[in-house]
Amino acid sequence: MTIVKSSKTHPLYSELVSITAQERVNDNPVIISAYSQDACHLKAERPGIIVMPNTVEEIQAIVKLCSQTKTPLVPTGGRNGICGACLPRAKNSVMLDMINMNKIVKLDDEVMTVTVEAGMRWAELIHLLDDRGYKLGFRGPYGGNAATIAGSASINSMGYAASKFGPTPESIVSLEVVLPNSEVIRTGSGWNPTAQIFTRYSTFLDMTGIFLGDHGTLGVKTKVTLKIYPKAEFSTFIDLGFKTLEDAMAGLLEVQKRGLTEELNCLLARESADTYFPGLLDNHPEINATFHCIVMETDKQLAERKIEVIREIGLAHKGKDIGNFAAQIHWAEKFNEVQPMYNNGFWLNTCHLRPITRLPELMDRMRTIFKKYDLDKHGIKWIADALAVERAYAAAWITIFAPTRDKMELAEKAWNEMLDVAMETGGCPYWSGLLWEERVLNKVEKSFIELYRTIKKAVDPDNIIAPQVFGGVD
Amino acid sequence: MAKTKFPSLEPYKNELWVCGRCGDCSLADKIIASDRGVDHPCGVKNVLGFEAYSAKGRVMILNDLIEGKLELNDDIVDWAYACNICKSCQETCMATADGIKMPEMMEALRKDLVANGFSLQKHEEIETSIINEYNPYKETKDFRLLVFGDREFPERADVVYFTGCTSSYREKEIAVTTVELLEKLGVNFTVLKDERCCGSVLLRLGREKTFANLTNHNIEAIRLTGAKTVVTACAGCYRTWKVDVVEAGYEYDFQVLHITEYLDNLIEEGNTSFGVDEGIRVTYHDPCHLGRHSEVYEAPRRVIEAIDNVELVEMRTNNRYAHCCGAGGGLKGTNGDLANEIAGNRIKEAEETGAELLLTACPFCYRGLKDGARHIGSNLKVLDLPTFLLDTKIGKSVRRREEEPLKQKFMTYLTQHPKIFDGLKNGAIIDYEISESRFHIKVVGKRNVEAKPHRAENPDVELMFSPAAVETLVTFDSEDEYAAQFGKFFKEPTDEKWIRFNLRLNIVKLLMKGYRKFAQKAGLI
Repeated sequence: MTIVKSSKTHPLYSELVSITAQERVNDNPVIISAYSQDACHLKAERPGIIVMPNTVEEIQAIVKLCSQTKTPLVPTGGRNGICGACLPRAKNSVMLDMINMNKIVKLDDEVMTVTVEAGMRWAELIHLLDDRGYKLGFRGPYGGNAATIAGSASINSMGYAASKFGPTPESIVSLEVVLPNSEVIRTGSGWNPTAQIFTRYSTFLDMTGIFLGDHGTLGVKTKVTLKIYPKAEFSTFIDLGFKTLEDAMAGLLEVQKRGLTEELNCLLARESADTYFPGLLDNHPEINATFHCIVMETDKQLAERKIEVIREIGLAHKGKDIGNFAAQIHWAEKFNEVQPMYNNGFWLNTCHLRPITRLPELMDRMRTIFKKYDLDKHGIKWIADALAVERAYAAAWITIFAPTRDKMELAEKAWNEMLDVAMETGGCPYWSGLLWEERVLNKVEKSFIELYRTIKKAVDPDNIIAPQVFGGVD
Repeated sequence: MAKTKFPSLEPYKNELWVCGRCGDCSLADKIIASDRGVDHPCGVKNVLGFEAYSAKGRVMILNDLIEGKLELNDDIVDWAYACNICKSCQETCMATADGIKMPEMMEALRKDLVANGFSLQKHEEIETSIINEYNPYKETKDFRLLVFGDREFPERADVVYFTGCTSSYREKEIAVTTVELLEKLGVNFTVLKDERCCGSVLLRLGREKTFANLTNHNIEAIRLTGAKTVVTACAGCYRTWKVDVVEAGYEYDFQVLHITEYLDNLIEEGNTSFGVDEGIRVTYHDPCHLGRHSEVYEAPRRVIEAIDNVELVEMRTNNRYAHCCGAGGGLKGTNGDLANEIAGNRIKEAEETGAELLLTACPFCYRGLKDGARHIGSNLKVLDLPTFLLDTKIGKSVRRREEEPLKQKFMTYLTQHPKIFDGLKNGAIIDYEISESRFHIKVVGKRNVEAKPHRAENPDVELMFSPAAVETLVTFDSEDEYAAQFGKFFKEPTDEKWIRFNLRLNIVKLLMKGYRKFAQKAGLI
């Protein structure tokens, strides 16, 4: 069914309709408008036409058509990332909206994997697995209500349960990808048509890894196989407060090295507590940094013991047990924590990865910027937060909120400096997108990016899929 | 491109800017991840697919319109009326205290479309019909009461049954059975001899010009009956009276109740009982205008649950997150096939419950769901609640169920210790559950709370207690000791003594209602 009819001006309109269906293709500017942005303020080219494929075969045909006509093709998931990664760089692109492809293809409990179609959303998969008695490892980015599994795989998304399981790519066993020549490749043990998909590393090189974080430039991901685990019925929580960020960091690192938590979140700066968790530190004037731990186990005693150990570590680092409300809320409000912050205005983020030990240095530099631009005085709130990622690093999440449009210019000035500082102090963005691309291309070693370009040229000689991303191939 | 003016929409510019386009309103399934009952909130988007039909997409399109990046044309008109204004997106949204107000914005755009000369002929005909015949169906105004046959209604009565145009002229069964039900219950009621359309359909379509005329007339007509209560079985009329008329600045000195609220009161007062001989499993569809727009969720459920031998089972989406039936917001009249598809999806949800009967409490939903069932070839029976009740065994009185002693004790304790709720703003509502039995506390003034022995319509927070925890808590004379123990049971639960909670509003709204202090007092933060 169609309400807003296609303009039928895109050169591939008729062919795309014959591959898919009239109600799943649209090039009307009204429809296109709704695909013009993701969840950040950055803008690129608008797509020329939107297609909602239902099957791998349809995608193969679309890729073939784009290849024959040398038309740019951009695959997208939930389009709620915060770096502009899903936005086309080339004019008149065909954009694939993958969200119709959201089925569980196979839950293989013999090898503890689940294979899903590319458009499956994280929260939906958590629901479907929970009904069957399983959980994911990494649970998805903070926008996981709408973010898709393949979208996250394409941009190395960070988020819930990264403390134990690492970022999105670490949970992936195999991918099915439609290559720019329209052939389909299955990675991991999927190279063997008669094998179950049970491991990522077998026989050949890690072909899965080539497509992870590729920003959709090397092919269209159509299926993703993820690791699953038995549902853990027992959860325990703790919030620990520290007088100094350095003490908090030392405690955090120790907890993280010992792999005790499912989720470990750290508030880096007291000044931002009311933006992050209003009222949290009102009763604790001496506390300047906190961390919040969630432990999930299939055994109650084990869950309780782990929290005891974490408490001991915290106390040994001059910390204070301040309860567990924040940790409980954090976990109970999964995928709902960022949205209420919009109430402070539109957000400008600096999400990136760094060693836990280098968080205090980052905060010192950031505070200088906050002070330089008098952000508080201009009503620009901010949060400084870090999410522990397996063993010893963290996703630093320093975000400022422009309360009104007229503050955006000032906020953007400060934000641009903050992005520079993140890079200067050894940070590595987990994604690139429009947000980081210029900075990372200035910094990246030539041999590294040239190897990527060689791969891109080999796989996509006509430069069809998501062209111009990472600076393009020319 | 010449920039078009959008005087009604432009005041929402900042709201449009603040939306972070997270996509919850489009694709979220929060059922397990955050226990919030949300499952792909937009019925229209679920059928049509493209992001343009979700609130997230609508935000980008509205921004483009205001900024002159999109031309105002017939495509925009088609798109603007492909929305049920059902408020499901806003209820899902956590970006602001009230959620991004997309329903208001779509109505504002519709006003601007009309003002800019973009009009659907169908809508013009509806408006003309309402102006001339006081109903949207081009029916003769003098025939409005024909639905009731030879029945005569008194000039004056305690209660006015406000029938509504759809029940008067289209879903006549609802008008007739509601009147018969009120008669059977011995209610002293009347029907206005010259009732006019409440104006709902015009407001939803962006047409306001005759609303004042309709409202002034209806208020005066009701006043002349001397009635202190107006009862309607139409969720659209109810919302208009409770929300739109009030927001437009009109005052009236009668209370307006939906029929389900009125019946609930009769049951609560011990005046009425209903029962069926053979057990039946039913499910209930929340009309958007009754639920999300007016926050009446529990009254219909309490009525259904009070019927002997009836088991109520909930659909996957229910209460504030219930999917729309597809009929509202002028969509059924404008895009009938789309409405049927949406209704068909809702029927499938109802079928999943295994219920034999789908009840609702709105003539639009009733029609929409019946059409939806037919559209997908479902045999599921759909009935409006008064129609169902009329065929039950109706008693004049019933002995009120004795409340469980512990629940009663806890309610009494909390009302006698209002200091526990210090810091919470007037109107804050907390739902309490002990052994699956509910009650709620509402803050009604400084150190003044009231307890009601049933679940709240739309609580801020739900607190679940083990019986042993309650037994301990009610022993404290001091509110501070209570709060300290409350915090301990929450933070250090045992198998025997525990407290759990669910936040039902977003954290911004909770803070505005004073829950920061409440949490601090209880030692939670």
